[in-house]
Amino acid sequence: MIKPIYVHGSGSISIQPTFEPGYCFDSILSFAQNPVPAYEPDYKALIPAMQLRRMNKSMRMAIFASRLALQQADRTAVDAIITGSGLGCLKDSERFVEALLAEEGQSLNPTPFIQSTHNMAAAAIALVLKCKGYNMTYVNNANSFESALLDGMVYLTEHPNDTMLLGGVDEAGERTTQFWDIAGYLKREVPTIPTPLEGAATPGEIAAEGATFFVVSGQPGARTYGKVTAVETSLETDDTVVLLSRFLQKNGLDADAIDAVFMGFNGDSRYDGIYRNLGHSLFPATLQLGFKHLLGEYDTVVASALAIALQLLNEQRIPSSLRLNDVEPKELKRILIYTQRRGKNHGLILVEQ
Amino acid sequence: MKEPIPIAITGMGAISAIGNDVANHYSSLRSSNPGIGPITQVQTHHRGNLLVGEISMDNGALYDCLAIPAHEAYTRSTLLALVAVREALVNAGIDPADGYRTGLISATTVGGMDATETYYEDYLVSKSHQHFIPTHPSGYSTEQLARHIGVTEFVTTISTACSSAANAIMLGARMIKAGLLDRAIVGGTDCLSKFTINGFNALMIYTDSYCRPFDEHRNGLNLGEAAAYLVLESPELVKQRTQTPIAYLTGYGNANDAFHQTASSDDGEGAYLAMKQALKVANLDAADVDYINAHGTATPNNDLAEGQALLRIYGSVEAVPAFSSTKAFTGHTLAAAGAIEAVISILALQHQVVFPNLNFSQPITTLGIVPQTQLLPKKIDHVLSNSFGFGGNCSTLLFSNAHD
Repeated sequence: MIKPIYVHGSGSISIQPTFEPGYCFDSILSFAQNPVPAYEPDYKALIPAMQLRRMNKSMRMAIFASRLALQQADRTAVDAIITGSGLGCLKDSERFVEALLAEEGQSLNPTPFIQSTHNMAAAAIALVLKCKGYNMTYVNNANSFESALLDGMVYLTEHPNDTMLLGGVDEAGERTTQFWDIAGYLKREVPTIPTPLEGAATPGEIAAEGATFFVVSGQPGARTYGKVTAVETSLETDDTVVLLSRFLQKNGLDADAIDAVFMGFNGDSRYDGIYRNLGHSLFPATLQLGFKHLLGEYDTVVASALAIALQLLNEQRIPSSLRLNDVEPKELKRILIYTQRRGKNHGLILVEQ
Repeated sequence: MKEPIPIAITGMGAISAIGNDVANHYSSLRSSNPGIGPITQVQTHHRGNLLVGEISMDNGALYDCLAIPAHEAYTRSTLLALVAVREALVNAGIDPADGYRTGLISATTVGGMDATETYYEDYLVSKSHQHFIPTHPSGYSTEQLARHIGVTEFVTTISTACSSAANAIMLGARMIKAGLLDRAIVGGTDCLSKFTINGFNALMIYTDSYCRPFDEHRNGLNLGEAAAYLVLESPELVKQRTQTPIAYLTGYGNANDAFHQTASSDDGEGAYLAMKQALKVANLDAADVDYINAHGTATPNNDLAEGQALLRIYGSVEAVPAFSSTKAFTGHTLAAAGAIEAVISILALQHQVVFPNLNFSQPITTLGIVPQTQLLPKKIDHVLSNSFGFGGNCSTLLFSNAHD
């Protein structure tokens, strides 16, 4: 069977200043727009200008977040790289489609084509770190990061002495956002971050973007922040309560063994009932936390929840901006993350001290 | 050393320019009948000047043959995948909903881009094709597949450019070995699109003629479209089902060239590392390999780097076993290439024959290696198959005979 993996560092770019040292959701940036672009760092601080010029947003965000994770883990190299990205390098995809629709037959610039490839972020990290090891990219909608995490656990069970970078990245694209709006995915009425939840929720998501990367290995170390002990996904389920109960049972746990549960409430009134029902049924006396109401929605946003969960386990405090209820846990040792998107792509991640 | 656990392959299915099922692939390969020709379906400026490996059935014919209602949105990659997956399930004699832990791991790079590029402006102004909007993400195609065949346990999608399907096959084997699945349906699919035809053409690695893998005067690839899937099963499950495997997946490896976004390093470092790893996982020596189904895209860079990597593995021109690229039959089918070539590798094992590398006349001067250009019957126990992609992504699979 697969073994737990230990996290030694993380780095995150999102629509909040998550890349700033020590940031922990005590101050929240507010937005009234849809989509919301990432709050970006000065990339030059960690990426040479020459390299930066040739990188699209996914590549920049992924490399910067990876560099932060490596710094925190005090490492300069890894043995393998696994990423998840629901939609890959969207802007370059759009750019190349627009170019070929406008001027097919003339000489097209191949760079957006090359950089539209879904594995470009993982490849760019490999290139800057000169990492010749295992390199994988999962593009499985809102379960892309969980797939990467599961592969990471399998890989580190096979290679117990290796260290890897593992993360998720997604960028927003202008035309694609229009398409999602037409498809009815997006919130139109007063799209705001923080997004009103529960009774104040309205239909639709707030599209956002970001990248979160982790340095992980099969062994604990001096700087270990915590471990991921289980991950599971389910494309569709008739009953999320049964799905979660089974997951807990498989891991030998009761609901009261969970000190806090992160749930993916995003203020979409059509689907948040899934979380509400779960909270009532399984976790009425458990601290419930949210993150998408502050970070928006994108396929790999769940990677941020893992980063926050690890931070809470280490700091043993709960920023009020994340709270969905007032339960005070005795201690924070074990956190469950559960998300879904538009009623499918259910993902479960168990994080422990 | 511990004996490697053989992952059984119990079924396969394929559709490409050389056949709508596995049997037709074999007869085309056997009779040196390639599938490269003019573009007749994709609406592109390059019709008439670029050659492709096109599947003759158009989307309407695929909808009919799969009995999919006309009002439902399926893009071509998904339609092709359904044809190949259905054949693989029949071949393996399984129903994914039979209670065993069955996963679906599918690879694609095009995803729903063929619809997106066609309706890019139309979506904004007309409702008539808006039901295709959700098909854009690569994962959508896998989810449609999963629903069709009843896979509920585990579903994921891999996209690592032209090594995608090889990586999907590898993940299936690794998850079975890790005890997470009893069975995995693995493979890849990519249809032709304006996006990819123009992309490779803009990169100046699209030949103006028929591709010539491993030839001194090769000048680029022909794109093709395909879908192919394998059914992998744990040794325990195969025993329970008393099913005879058609072959075993004995080795796999993935490495990164870490050299350039698109080009391979001169010494084929990533390819070398991937092959080394696959041999190690299979516990085989390079000399045990009887046939190599090369990536061999016929771009100047790929064939040189892959050839260098082969020479590094084998030490000399003479030591390199019979090898061929079958891209001149199918075209380069991108995310499906690793799967279609897995099927071809298994056919080589089943029929004990090396398939020819077409359009070859003169060896690459700096390498001196000569691919197999005629059908060659020989004893084949182990076949090595390479797939390399953008971003330096290099993967190798090793298939071994069921009689072992």
